Amino acid sequence: MKKFLTAIFSIAGTTCALAQEAPTSPLEFSGSVDTYYKYDFAKRPNIPTSFVSDHNSVSLGMIDLALKKKTGKASFVGEISFGPRGQTQSIPDAANDNSSFHIQNLYINYDFSDKFSMTAGYMGTFIGYEVISPVGNFNYSTSYLFTNGPFQNAGIKATYKFSDKVSLMAGLFNDWNLYSATRGVSSIGGQLMISPVEGWTAYLNVLSGADPYGYGTIEDLTTSYQITKAFKLGLNAANYDMADDAGGYAGVALYPQVAVADAVTLGLRGEYFKYKDVGTVEGSSYTGLTLTANIKSGGLTFIPEVRLDHNGDKPFLNKTGGAAPNAGQFSLAAVYAF
Amino acid sequence: MKYKLVLLLAVLSFKLLAQQKQFSSAENGKFIYYEVVEKASGKDSLMLRANAFIDLYKKSIKKQSTTDTSITAKGLLIIDKTILVASHPSGEVNFKLTFEAREKKYRFWLTDFEYIPYGRDRYSNYVPTTKIATPLEQTPGKLSSGEWKDIVEAAYDKTGKFADNFKQALATNSTQKKKKKTETVSTAKW
Repeated sequence: MKKFLTAIFSIAGTTCALAQEAPTSPLEFSGSVDTYYKYDFAKRPNIPTSFVSDHNSVSLGMIDLALKKKTGKASFVGEISFGPRGQTQSIPDAANDNSSFHIQNLYINYDFSDKFSMTAGYMGTFIGYEVISPVGNFNYSTSYLFTNGPFQNAGIKATYKFSDKVSLMAGLFNDWNLYSATRGVSSIGGQLMISPVEGWTAYLNVLSGADPYGYGTIEDLTTSYQITKAFKLGLNAANYDMADDAGGYAGVALYPQVAVADAVTLGLRGEYFKYKDVGTVEGSSYTGLTLTANIKSGGLTFIPEVRLDHNGDKPFLNKTGGAAPNAGQFSLAAVYAF
Repeated sequence: MKYKLVLLLAVLSFKLLAQQKQFSSAENGKFIYYEVVEKASGKDSLMLRANAFIDLYKKSIKKQSTTDTSITAKGLLIIDKTILVASHPSGEVNFKLTFEAREKKYRFWLTDFEYIPYGRDRYSNYVPTTKIATPLEQTPGKLSSGEWKDIVEAAYDKTGKFADNFKQALATNSTQKKKKKTETVSTAKW
């Protein structure tokens, strides 16, 4: 115990001493832990979107730890996660190497001025509404748009902030979700951020180049508008075309949320998602409706959720194991952010 | 036993002192941090120094209006959440600053405190989760009351530090600031 306390005070002393030497921001440390219980109405894992996979089990999400530090104009972020949500369920090729951890963010940023900055490393993708970390999402389960789109991008990007209302990002990236490129720095991406009125932010994104499926281009609109103190509306629409008409997807998801009390917010996710036709093979389409509540107390958020999905091609299973057009699940998650 | 009683008394006194650190309320019911400082410099110097202070912190304080004897500005204070030796921003408190100068004295007050919570974005940066702020005087429900109390206390601490810096700046004549001479060490003799 003594040694532990000595170590803590030594670290504290060193931090204070360093803080006195240079005008820097303190070391930021944050993270989250999440766990869930899910009951699938077909009594088996059924809905094929990312995470929340286990049926009738109290299962783990992930533990996520993030460090950030800024010294002068330079800063770094390092964020690492352990657990199914952050490891095997996050990386498409996880089955090959059974990764023991997953880097969520690892990048260095340099602010050349108040308006212009450059960032290099491995970052959460700029595409889409939802993210891997449950702290960044309202719904605990994820959308088809999220599951099929990029999770992260390694690359280098430059951002120019014209004003608080408009900024532009352009960058060169590796293929999606990989720490190192398999086909070189093969993608080009850009993001235009517009904030037309206070509380409304829209991101117009494009990413073209190598991805896990081949080569393709994804166009994406991600926007949210806090219309009143109690009501927020989010929207995500995306279109992905693979090269040589080899497929892709298109979809749209709407996220209305209403705060019914100080600590309680209810939200709905309505999604339409369709895989593109390939030759004569017609792409399958999904609709999903997810009702979620966020009940907050300090750093803890309880997330009860009911989800109903439909697909006329019957890709789901029913209780007896037969093909079914509908799937449903209930989940209760606890997410603690610190 | 005696030592235990002394320790208990010390803890209770500390708790009492901690509880006393809170905002006063203005006539309109809003929280206010109000100070009058006597035995200060001349009015013109005070105005000059107050303007210089606001210009120096222009990223967090924006001037709203200025007259010969007063300044109003809007500013923000970052509230941090600390875990052991490290911390991260958990929100910001916006405020309105009013400064009035007279000959050899001045007063200032901060009010209209409003809180905006921060959340972690996809790049692990802490950013405002909403543009709609909540007045600090608002009493939240039971589930959030503990967290809100911490926020109000942190806001009071930060306001106190801001006020100390402001008073320090107004007590210092920046134009006559002497440049600190770097100490020269001779290695020729020893």
